[in-house]
Amino acid sequence: MIEFQHVFKSYGQGRNILADLSFRVSAGEFVYVAGPSGAGKSTLLKLIGGLEPPSRGSIQVNGHRLDRLSARARPYLRRAVGVILQDTHLLYDRSAIDNVLLPLAVTGLAPSLARARARAALEKVGLSSKENIHPIELSGGEQQRLAIARAIVNRPAILIADEPTASLDLDSARRIMEVFKDFNRVGVTTVIASHDDTLMASYATRAFKVEPGKFADSASQRAPTYTQSGVMVKSQSPTLRATPDDALR
Amino acid sequence: MKSLLRQHRYALAVTLRRLAAAPLSSLTNLLVISLALSLPLLGASLLVSMQPVARQVSVTPELTIFLKIDAPAAAAEQIAKRVRQEHAALVAGVRVISKDRALNDLRGNPAWEQALKVLPGNPLPDAVVVSLTANDQLAQLADQLAQGWRKWPGVELVQLDTAWVQRLEALLRAGRIGLLLLALSVALVVLATVFNTVRMQAMSQREEIGVARLVGATESFVRRPFLYLGSLTCSLAALLGIGIARLALIPLNDALASLARSYDTEFALSLPPAELLAAAVVSVAILGALSARWSVQRNTQF
Repeated sequence: MIEFQHVFKSYGQGRNILADLSFRVSAGEFVYVAGPSGAGKSTLLKLIGGLEPPSRGSIQVNGHRLDRLSARARPYLRRAVGVILQDTHLLYDRSAIDNVLLPLAVTGLAPSLARARARAALEKVGLSSKENIHPIELSGGEQQRLAIARAIVNRPAILIADEPTASLDLDSARRIMEVFKDFNRVGVTTVIASHDDTLMASYATRAFKVEPGKFADSASQRAPTYTQSGVMVKSQSPTLRATPDDALR
Repeated sequence: MKSLLRQHRYALAVTLRRLAAAPLSSLTNLLVISLALSLPLLGASLLVSMQPVARQVSVTPELTIFLKIDAPAAAAEQIAKRVRQEHAALVAGVRVISKDRALNDLRGNPAWEQALKVLPGNPLPDAVVVSLTANDQLAQLADQLAQGWRKWPGVELVQLDTAWVQRLEALLRAGRIGLLLLALSVALVVLATVFNTVRMQAMSQREEIGVARLVGATESFVRRPFLYLGSLTCSLAALLGIGIARLALIPLNDALASLARSYDTEFALSLPPAELLAAAVVSVAILGALSARWSVQRNTQF
C-alpha cells in the first residue's frame, strides 16, 4: 500500500530532513508516526500524500510509483489519499457541507448523490446538525472533524493526518481518534503523526519514530540507529473486514 | 461525459458566485471592457454604412466633357456623336446637357438661387455626359479616354466623375486599416484587463485552489472557473458594448440626418449585421478565455 525505499528529503541545499528512509505499510494498517517537532513527521506525511517530491529514493503509494507518476495522473492518486493537515485548510466562506462537497465536485459526482455522501460523512464525524454552519463558528475539535469528513468523503484507500488531536481536550481527541479507528476497521490504511504517545498507543497497530536523521519502525527488527525507547505497540497484521464505503453507511 | 458536464456546471456556478461576491469590481471591469469595445464597433458602423454609398456610385461611372464657354451651340451634339462613333464598344450612353438646362437645374437648388440672380448671364458651359460600360480596367480606361478627349477642339475640361468615389474608397481602405489597428489596441486592453482580473481572483482564491488540489482536483478543474470568468466577462462586456454603440448612434444619426437633408438625401449609420456582431461577441469571449488561461497558468504556480 505504502512503500518507501531509501528516501531522502531535504529543502534546497540544506540538511536532510529525512535520510535513507525505507519502510512498508500494508493495506489496512493503522500507523502512528511519533517524534519531536522538526523531526520530519509532517514531511513524511506530505511525501506519502504526494504533496512533496522526495529528493532521492522511491515512494510507492496505492500501487503507483510517485516519481513515475505524471503531473496529469497525480490528482487521481490524491483522491485515493485522504489528507488532514495540521492547519485544517477549511474554506471559511463556505458552509460545512460545502467544504465536504468540494472533493466530490472535483470528481464530478451527481449533485444529489454528492449531497447524500457529504451528509453521511458529516454524520460520521458527528456534525450532521451543523452542515449549514460556517467553519469559523465551529470549535477547534469540530473544525478538525470537518476536515476529517472532507478527507473521507471520497472514500479514500489511505488516510493521513498530521497532528489531528493537537490543541484538543482529551474527550474531543478521543472522539476524533474513534472516527479514524472506525475507518481503519473497514480497511482504510491510516497514518497519523502525533505528539500524544499515550493516546496513539490505544489506537495504532504500529509506530514509526522519527528523529532528525533517524528512523525506527516498531515492526522492524532492524532499528539500529534508534536509541530512544517509546515504541508503544507491537506490529500486528491488519484484518480487512469491510470496505471503506461501509464506514459511510 | 456526464461527469465532465457536471464539472463545467460546477465551474460556472463558482464563477457566478465569485462575480457576485465582488459586484463593484465585476461591474467596473465590465464597463471598462465594454467602453473599449464600443469604439471599434462605432468605427465598424461608420465603415459598414459608408460602403454601400461607395459601391452604389461606382457602378455608374461617368465622364463629363465640359465645352469652352464660347463654343457654338451645335458643338456639344457633334462631340456626343463623335464619342458614340469612336468608342461605341466602351460607351453605354451619351447625353447632352445644354448650358440653359444646367442653369435651370441649378436655379432649382435654393442654395444657388440667390447667387445666380446677381450674375449677368449664364456662366455655365454646355456639357456631354458619357456613361461607360462596366469593365475590369474601368478606372484606367476612363483616365485614357479623358486624356484623349481633352485634346478635342472646343473641349475645356473632362471630369472623371468616379474620381471622388476612388478617393472615398481609398478613404474607406484607410479607415479599415485604422479600424484594424483600433481593434488590435482594444484587444490588448481586453487582454490586460482580463489578465489582471484573473490574477487578482487567483490570488484571492489561493486557499481554495490549494484545498482543491489537496483533494485531487486536476489543473483543468482549477483553471475552469477562471476561463469561464474571462469568457463570461468578455461576452457580457461585448453585449454591453453593442448596447453602448447602439445608444451612441442615436444622437449621431440625428445630427447626420439634418446634414443629409440639406443635400436632399438620406444617410444613417447602422451597426454591422447581426451575424458579424455575434462573431464579434464569440471572438471577444475566446480572447477573454485565452487571456484568463494565460493569467491563471502564470498565477497559480504555488
